[in-house]
Amino acid sequence: MKKNVLKSILFVIFFVVITEILTYVVLPGSNVRKMGMIKVATYEVLGEQKNTIDVAVIGDSLVYSSLSPMVIWNEFGYTTFDCSNPAQLITESYGNLEAVTETQKPKIVILEANELFRDDKHKKLKYKMEVLYRKLIPIATYHNNWKNYFMYGSKDNWINIYKGYKYITKVESGKSNYEMTYSSKKEVIPDKNKEYFDKIYELCKKNNIKLVVVSFPTQISWNYKKHNATETLLEKYSDVEFIDLNTVDLGIDWKKETKDEGGHLNYLGARKVSTYIGEYIKSTELVEDKRGNKKYASWDEAYKKYVFYSNNQ
Amino acid sequence: MSYFDAIFAFLFIPILIVIYNIVPKKFRPYFLLAVSFGFFCVISKFLIAFLLLSILSIYLITNKFTKIDKERDEVLEKTDKDNRKEVKTLFSKKKKRWLVLGILFNVAMLFGFKYVNFFGSNLNYIFDLFKLDVHYNIIKYAAPIGISYYTLQAIAYLVDVYNGKFEAEKNICKVALFLSFFPQIMEGPIVRYNDTADQLFEGKSVSYNSFCFGYQRVLYGFFKKFVIADRLNIAVSMIFDSYTTFSGGILFLGAIFYTILLYMEFSGTMDVVIGIGEMFGVKIPENFKQPFFAKNISEFWTRWHISLGLWFKDMIFYPVSLSKPVKHLTLHARKIFGNKYGPILCGGIALFCVWFLNGLWHGAGWPFLFYGMYHFVMILSGNLLEPLIQWLCTKLHINRQNIVYRVLQSVKMALFVFIGEMFFRAPTVRQGFVMLKRIITNFSFSSFKDGGLAILGIDVYDLAVIIIGVLVIFVIGLLKERNINVREEISKKNIVFRWFIYYLLIFSIIMLGAYGPGYIPVDPIYADF
Repeated sequence: MKKNVLKSILFVIFFVVITEILTYVVLPGSNVRKMGMIKVATYEVLGEQKNTIDVAVIGDSLVYSSLSPMVIWNEFGYTTFDCSNPAQLITESYGNLEAVTETQKPKIVILEANELFRDDKHKKLKYKMEVLYRKLIPIATYHNNWKNYFMYGSKDNWINIYKGYKYITKVESGKSNYEMTYSSKKEVIPDKNKEYFDKIYELCKKNNIKLVVVSFPTQISWNYKKHNATETLLEKYSDVEFIDLNTVDLGIDWKKETKDEGGHLNYLGARKVSTYIGEYIKSTELVEDKRGNKKYASWDEAYKKYVFYSNNQ
Repeated sequence: MSYFDAIFAFLFIPILIVIYNIVPKKFRPYFLLAVSFGFFCVISKFLIAFLLLSILSIYLITNKFTKIDKERDEVLEKTDKDNRKEVKTLFSKKKKRWLVLGILFNVAMLFGFKYVNFFGSNLNYIFDLFKLDVHYNIIKYAAPIGISYYTLQAIAYLVDVYNGKFEAEKNICKVALFLSFFPQIMEGPIVRYNDTADQLFEGKSVSYNSFCFGYQRVLYGFFKKFVIADRLNIAVSMIFDSYTTFSGGILFLGAIFYTILLYMEFSGTMDVVIGIGEMFGVKIPENFKQPFFAKNISEFWTRWHISLGLWFKDMIFYPVSLSKPVKHLTLHARKIFGNKYGPILCGGIALFCVWFLNGLWHGAGWPFLFYGMYHFVMILSGNLLEPLIQWLCTKLHINRQNIVYRVLQSVKMALFVFIGEMFFRAPTVRQGFVMLKRIITNFSFSSFKDGGLAILGIDVYDLAVIIIGVLVIFVIGLLKERNINVREEISKKNIVFRWFIYYLLIFSIIMLGAYGPGYIPVDPIYADF
């Protein structure tokens, strides 16, 4: 019995040691030195080259299912990155923004509006586990990096194809001809969230970043009460724009362009949102088209791979 | 939920084992039953009601058999010799009625969930054809998980008790656990009551050895699924989804890839299922026995999805071929076609029933029915041609045990299997034929000129991993064919070698597994049947 316990402990220790070695081998190189392994796994954006991101989009699952940075790159030449996790809290978004500003100088930060209303206690265990799992076992995210050794001779050339976006082709129809029911009431924004919104605002101001609050299309998570509450909150912040895509006609076909009965968009819906957001970024005149710029060649490479992998889904 | 969920295999199972070992021995089967019901509910929620109905029906009916037998014996004691036969027939008929009722009840549930829409949509075609103003409205609904598996187990239990193979179980929980044991519920194997019920109810502790051995098997399944099947899935989806753009050679490659994928996915699942069973001290029967080492398609089916084949043999093939009308027909056929071909042709009736139902069991759709009929034709023609081939070999002095002959036989068998699986994967029978036509009329790999391997969505590294993975599985299969149990051989070696192999297995899954960004895992294919 004792022998077996000892053997088991030894087996686990060796397992952890080998995992750590292999993790070091496959994690995107430059970030390991600078940021530490765990941070890279938690904040994917740290895998990007320094000062290359124009727009950071921060929020929950509505972000990574609504906005495809590669579509924006292809159509407008702007570099966007989805810094989002399932059921992300605004407190976590603040951490995300801090991580972004450590290595990037984005001109615009888009904050997804729905998380203003999410309370800690509502955060589902499953999502917490998912974030924890990525944090604890970064090798699960970066294991495929071994190919880079053969292809490019270095792990430093790791290219993130999706830039935080989750490409989903699944179709589960929602309600057709959906329109939000009007209400003059207001949802309550928890005080803690207001406090963190203020912190995000201050951080953006300090870094000279334009903050935009966007509500991404959903038939389930958003309503007029939230819309009204967001508008009221933003009255204090005159330089923060609010775009409620649930009140804009984007031509979303809810029969075909949602992956979960109207909860989130699939890749078809995301294309429309991405084009709209691309147009918006263009209208701000804060960001330049970087297509053809040698410094951003990896984005062209990523786009090629994106098209390649997307065609396979 | 899938057995390949890391949370299921490496969090849920270990926690379950710890609790299981803490629970007193006599309560362990009940604990396993509660877990199995819970597992079922997580996937199918309130549809568990139908599983419960199945359990209740077979429990009540098999106990009714016992009651009828008891009544019969009591009556027989009081009956004189002349009337005994009549009494026996009377009770036998009564028992049969209950058996038929039990089978119909369970089949009706299966039919209701799986086939109503299929038959309804085909009826709509007929209504449209005759311009009738009738229409069946297709209703979308989910079926209870594993209904195709547990229904067959339930029917087998009814028939086995009816035939006196074993006595009806008095403890309903034991029947329930036999039918709903959580590792088996999704994809089988379709076990018989005497295979697992007693072991499940023994409540053996999970020992260090059974835990280690079980996990080794689970990891082997993970290797097949993540390293091979999921990586192949990219190319397979590409080929079958855009079949019109590829030349025949690549379509044939698609058929080969899909067959390998299906084998790795399904047999990998069985490794996980059997591995978990092993941990709990339950020896779940093997469902695969190196099918690609078979000599012909008939033998292939005794090595692939063994439990389904056995079920069809016992529940359909024998009852049909031993039925009075078929026996009668065989007698006539012997007179007309001779002693060789007569029985083969009549056996064809039972074979047809088996493969028609086998096709239907795999899915409510024409491609599945075609798949069944394809195998029926292949096996029957194989049986009919066998005497001729035997005669030819004798005449031409060909040694059928010769290695070249055997290899050629295996190649022919594999070819038939690849084509069969191609029809199985194609969403319509028409697509299957278009692909087959292109394979025959345009067998080239010219599509590769347009973009090399990339046109299949994989790169040379993916291909290298697939080839190495398949070779590893092939060598292990070859050793098994030679009665060498690799796992046991490894366990005899010193600890350094053993651990090296285990770590190699674990880290090849972690590093070479096709998961994460850019990969879509194969859905549990056999869970849909």
